[in-house]
Amino acid sequence: MGYLGMILAPIFLAVFVYALFGHRPALVRGIALATFVLQFVFSAHLFSQLPDTGFVLLGSFLAVDAFHFALTLQVDSLSVVMLLLSSLLLFLVTLSSWTIEKPAAYFSLLILFSGAIMGVFMTSNMLWFFMFWELTLLPMFFLVGIWGGERRIYAAIKFFLYTHAASVLMLLAFFLVYTQTGFFDFTLVKEAAIATPALVWWLLFIGFAIKLPVFPFHTWLPDAHVEAPAPVSVLLAGVLLKMGAYGLIRFGIEMMPETSREFALYMLAFGLLTAFFAGLLAIYQTHIKKMVAYSSISHMGLVLIAISTVSYEGLSAALFEMLGHAAIISPLFLIAGMIYQQTGSYQMRDMGGMMQQAPYLSAIFVLAGMAALGMPATMGFIGEVTIYLSSIKIYGAGIAVMAILSLISAGYLIWTFRRVIYGECSPLMASSAFKINPIEFSALLVFAVLIVLFGIYPQPIFDVANQSFFMLGGH
Amino acid sequence: MNLNLLPFLAIFPFIGAALAFVLGKQQRGLAFWVAEIVGLSLFLASVLLAIQYTTPITLDYTWLTFGTTALPFGLYVDGLSIVMLLIATGLGLLDIHFAHDYMAEDKDQARYYAKVLFFIGGMILLVMAKDMIGVFVGWEFMGLASYLLISFWHRQKAPADAGMQAFLYTRFGDIFIFAAIGLLFYFVGTLDLLQINNLAKVGVIDHQVALVIAVFIFIGAIGKSGQFPLFPWLMNAMEGPTTVSALIHGATMVNAGIYIVARLFDFYLSTEALLVVASVGALSAFIGATSALVQTEMKKVLAYSTMSHLALAFVGLGVGSLAAGMMHLVNHAVFKALLFLSVGGVILAAHHQKDVWQLGGLRTKLPLLAALMAIGGLSLSGIAPFSGFFSKDAVLTAALLNPETQGLIATLATLAALLSIAYFGRLWLLMFQGEPRNATLHEQIHAPSLFWIALPLAIMALITLGLSFYQAEIAQFITGKAEVSAHVDGLLTGLMIGLSLLALIVFGFYAKDLTLVKKMAQHPFLRMIHQLLFHGYYVEAMIGWFSKQVIVEGFAKAMAWTDKHIVDAVINGFLPTTQAIFKRLQTTQTGLIGDYMGMMVTGLAVLMLVAMMVGV
Amino acid sequence: MSPFALLFGGALLSPLIQGGYWLKGLTLLLLTIAGYNIWLGEGVGLAFFAQTDAIRFFEGILVLVAAALVLHLDDTESGRLTQLLFIVAGSMALLESTTLLSFVISFEALSIISFVLVSNINSEKQAEGAIKLFFAGATSTGIVLLGLALFTLSGQSVDTPLAATQDSFVLVSLFIVLIGIFYKLTIFPMHAWAADSYAQVNHVDAAILSAVMKTVVALATFQLFSPLLTSLNQNMIIGLAILAVVTMTLGNLLALYQKNIAKMLAYSSIAHAGYMLIPFAAIASHDAPTAILYLAIAYLFMQTAVFLILDRLHKDQGIASVEDLKGLARKNPLYALLFSVQLFSLAGIPLLAGFLAKAVAFYAGVDAGLWPLVLIALLNSALSVAYYAWLVKQMYFDEAYNPQPIINKAGFVWSELILLAGTLYFGVVAVDVFRVAS
Repeated sequence: MGYLGMILAPIFLAVFVYALFGHRPALVRGIALATFVLQFVFSAHLFSQLPDTGFVLLGSFLAVDAFHFALTLQVDSLSVVMLLLSSLLLFLVTLSSWTIEKPAAYFSLLILFSGAIMGVFMTSNMLWFFMFWELTLLPMFFLVGIWGGERRIYAAIKFFLYTHAASVLMLLAFFLVYTQTGFFDFTLVKEAAIATPALVWWLLFIGFAIKLPVFPFHTWLPDAHVEAPAPVSVLLAGVLLKMGAYGLIRFGIEMMPETSREFALYMLAFGLLTAFFAGLLAIYQTHIKKMVAYSSISHMGLVLIAISTVSYEGLSAALFEMLGHAAIISPLFLIAGMIYQQTGSYQMRDMGGMMQQAPYLSAIFVLAGMAALGMPATMGFIGEVTIYLSSIKIYGAGIAVMAILSLISAGYLIWTFRRVIYGECSPLMASSAFKINPIEFSALLVFAVLIVLFGIYPQPIFDVANQSFFMLGGH
Repeated sequence: MNLNLLPFLAIFPFIGAALAFVLGKQQRGLAFWVAEIVGLSLFLASVLLAIQYTTPITLDYTWLTFGTTALPFGLYVDGLSIVMLLIATGLGLLDIHFAHDYMAEDKDQARYYAKVLFFIGGMILLVMAKDMIGVFVGWEFMGLASYLLISFWHRQKAPADAGMQAFLYTRFGDIFIFAAIGLLFYFVGTLDLLQINNLAKVGVIDHQVALVIAVFIFIGAIGKSGQFPLFPWLMNAMEGPTTVSALIHGATMVNAGIYIVARLFDFYLSTEALLVVASVGALSAFIGATSALVQTEMKKVLAYSTMSHLALAFVGLGVGSLAAGMMHLVNHAVFKALLFLSVGGVILAAHHQKDVWQLGGLRTKLPLLAALMAIGGLSLSGIAPFSGFFSKDAVLTAALLNPETQGLIATLATLAALLSIAYFGRLWLLMFQGEPRNATLHEQIHAPSLFWIALPLAIMALITLGLSFYQAEIAQFITGKAEVSAHVDGLLTGLMIGLSLLALIVFGFYAKDLTLVKKMAQHPFLRMIHQLLFHGYYVEAMIGWFSKQVIVEGFAKAMAWTDKHIVDAVINGFLPTTQAIFKRLQTTQTGLIGDYMGMMVTGLAVLMLVAMMVGV
Repeated sequence: MSPFALLFGGALLSPLIQGGYWLKGLTLLLLTIAGYNIWLGEGVGLAFFAQTDAIRFFEGILVLVAAALVLHLDDTESGRLTQLLFIVAGSMALLESTTLLSFVISFEALSIISFVLVSNINSEKQAEGAIKLFFAGATSTGIVLLGLALFTLSGQSVDTPLAATQDSFVLVSLFIVLIGIFYKLTIFPMHAWAADSYAQVNHVDAAILSAVMKTVVALATFQLFSPLLTSLNQNMIIGLAILAVVTMTLGNLLALYQKNIAKMLAYSSIAHAGYMLIPFAAIASHDAPTAILYLAIAYLFMQTAVFLILDRLHKDQGIASVEDLKGLARKNPLYALLFSVQLFSLAGIPLLAGFLAKAVAFYAGVDAGLWPLVLIALLNSALSVAYYAWLVKQMYFDEAYNPQPIINKAGFVWSELILLAGTLYFGVVAVDVFRVAS
């Protein structure tokens, strides 16, 4: 029952937290922080409980036998890693939105989000998975719509509608799976035969691809990212996009490995297209947050390439890159947000010489940027090189074109550094004080440490990743 | 003992860098001392390694295992590595020592020394790496460090631009290495450098594949070593502190390109790629030497000369002589560091004036620097008995003896080798001879510190001289086999005559009276040539045009257009579309009961008809 | 005692009691007793009427929602209390009808009560809405009777339960009856009146018409006509599916850019009628009865709730157009929250009843092999999010024109909390509905 509480309590109590303590924002913030710490501890506890391979069943609730509809909580190492990632990110997001406006409502929404996201990664019932999946949209809708920038309403509604429309395809796929196999539980579906695998697979793929996001279904993301406040961008990039990848791995690769192999080349094509297209777009941006957003898309393209291999190596690499992406893109978004907060502009032509005003902030920006362009000793490099090697192993020499991606990413990042961080101090920069709240800064430091730590010593993550995808080892 | 030295060498620079930064932030002066001590201990460790060296040392380590694939990160040290280590740490140490005065006024010393140690660490990692992954890590570290150091004075526009350029140009080369890693992994199945060499020797690697991989790796080397066409960054990198230039050109970065080709020499020997290496080398040597002739900035002259001399080293390798190529690299590292630091001494004395036309007549003010620089310059020009002579001779000999390269490649290389006396002579004469061209500046010049500035220069000058006597031994140490010294009739005599002639011409032009030079500068045709050379054959402009107009304004803009006007427009198009449908449908809601009832009954009729037609 | 008799009797006697306050109390008491009796398993208790588990469960919920409606009503609206009691009683009769005869009688009775209900006319607009309702009702009654006449002509008796048949004359006649009934469900092409009426009549009446009446009729029709539906051939099933798709698409598209909230909700109600038709088309699926029951329950809660909120807002600040909602979250956070939750439920956001209901219905569609229909329905559902979210946007993202706060009203809040509880409970716990439906 405690497990159920971890999911449902935040969802249903968030409103009460807001209603009861709305006038005491610091308390709400504290409750949020405590919730996320608790969730992290809880995830760590689950981590220690994991068997060597496969799932650990935590219980089945609210069962409707006639419909095979039950909130079955089952986790394996993949889901626990995602749980750890999301609770850690939520914690850091709380730190980095320490001085946000209307804090009570904001943190209540974060609490609501945390419950939904725990549900997404913990349940093995497809219908419940879908329910939590959709529920994550609600807090995001409000977070973008209320705390966002100038075009926040356009962005929030576009985000909501676009991703919602995508997920209905997924729901249809789940229904088809259920009629054809008689199971809603994906651990059971694996053994059963799906009558129309191609249809189901494509419906699922498009559903997840939009979340991932994959070209040409990506246009909700730059808008949402640009308008969202920086910490919310972190959640979008760090957690929401990961849900797409997680879903694709769970339902595409694990549930239907043969079909996935059949369509692997399409996935690869989409992945390459996304990575290149978004990379080139990032070069063309003059808006710093848009640049980061496209960079984020480009990296998710890499994840898709890795997933497309449907191999033990590829999936391990994909998981690493997912975590790396969260650790790398988050500080970039946060710093872009801070720059906006300080200077009132997102336009890179207004900037320059930030190193003189805020050396440490700039240093972290450069570090994260270097990680994004694949500098060794950062998570970015490990992710890139493992994805590269695993996909070249499957697809052969042609994959070497991926190397060009590192040049593209270097192009937009180094140019961004030149325009924002180095050079003469622009008038706008010079007139900005760059007083950063130390708590908000500390979140950045954590990201920086993570990037380097796992960049030098990545094996712990790969141990878990290898454990998660052991079943693909035969191929 | 030896085994413990390897991890120490690999890790200590980075710890040192962190220490230098943290302590330097506490107290400015501390950064230097941390760096000096770290530099010294690294050098001592390298020396110890060299003394104890008997057989190659291998240290295997698996960095990570993903799936069933392990990514190795082994260390491997043999003669070649040790020589590179000695260069990197020895010259690095001298460079750090020199920086004490050179960077004395800078506020950001903590940052400076941290980056320098990081730079040296990258080079150490590179030369000790056992596999391509390690090579790539060191390779990228140096790219990063050079980026940070070149734009060290980030407050100004030029260094910031130069740093960006350096990173992107070298990165362009790096992606080919990255591609090569993938190809090696796929076709050869190993990333281990020694195994690659061995497999190539036995001929298991497909010929075509090997050629592609070798060329790819060489493109990476072109980027790092500043060869045609990726050299412009090397010139603009002169915006960084001169000590950094010395570090890049002497101790670390540019040597990396040569090193990787040397490291995979057996692999290269098995392919036709060496001819590519030699050709690019010869072309670069010529471009570098000619462009160096007309530069006004002292450091740029040296930068072009680096390009030219490294190209000669590539020619040496390319024509099949590992010993010649590597020896030229070793000699060049020392005399180029010496030259850069000498010029650095002059720049420091001249209050950061880098334009040679603002100087002149310094021999009275700075006699020691003039002498030390002359030693370096003579070595560079290939005057016996300085070390440069021997390796240059070896390179040209090898080029002439190789039937494939004795034509154009050998000619270009020889020309480039000869021209070094010309540009160095011009530079030296303009700096030290003649009358001061800027009297006020001249007044302010005073001799630099003996201990901090002159001592490292003197040590390097001594090494340059000393190296002359151990050429064969070092070559043997590096290649592991005694080289039979080859000989080409008339080469030595020809070189000597050529050099003397050129020296005379340059002396005539620049030593006393500059009117002739100025008159020549008026001539339209000569001016055109001058401009061409001055701008490095406009390679930078072309690359710049391509990347800006074709990549950014072409591809990227087209993508942005597609994104906005096609991909997103489809989505945004839902709004007007649904609005139009809405408007149309609204008209059916007339609000008149008659219409509604009519709809009902008509609907019923139609439904019944349909039911009749399809059968109930 | 039969809850039907209790409610019917109560309704007859209620005009005798003066003073809305007392009447409200008594009505609540009556509903409580009726609810208790229903829980005990008592139904109408007459011939031609029978109660299944599903119906009993739904009747219980109906009584609960009626109680919420009573709580919402002002003390002055005693006429509506009487009509409400009649409607609950009539609904029970309709729901429990086992024969065509009892069904048609109950159906017509319910229609007449609805005419009475909307005849509480205060304005010209309301009059127009009432007249439209009346005419549409009259026309459809004609259609129903036509069908019934044909049915008896074929020699069938109207006082036995319907059975599966292959006689096409019987099928056609029953099909005509079905289409006549569809007017109440606002299925295309009989939808047009509803959009006007729901938006024009009093919002409480609209709640009763669009939520209570519609769900009751849908459920009762499904109950009675499922033997007919199983006898229909594939073409007719596809025809029903097309009707469903057209209805929902039309409703959603017309709701999209409405400026008037009531009108938007009216069209959304039409769209939901389309969803409710899916279980009819998916009769082949084992889950179709559950689907219709779940849809009815969920829709009853959420649709009643939104119209009641609208009524409250209209009464307090004259809110009618979408623009008027601006800044509601500031003016009264509770109302805004209640409204948003119910709207999201209508939109089909999970953990709310609207989602699970739709999910079961759509699953039934997939199970019956109609997955293209379900795909369109799903996309429709996604489209509908646009206008619900648009309302939420007004409440939360925009600043108010008139920042005057709205004060909570206890009766209303209690009624809304009852409805909220239903929306939340059936959004998470599905087991009860599945239990009673099977």
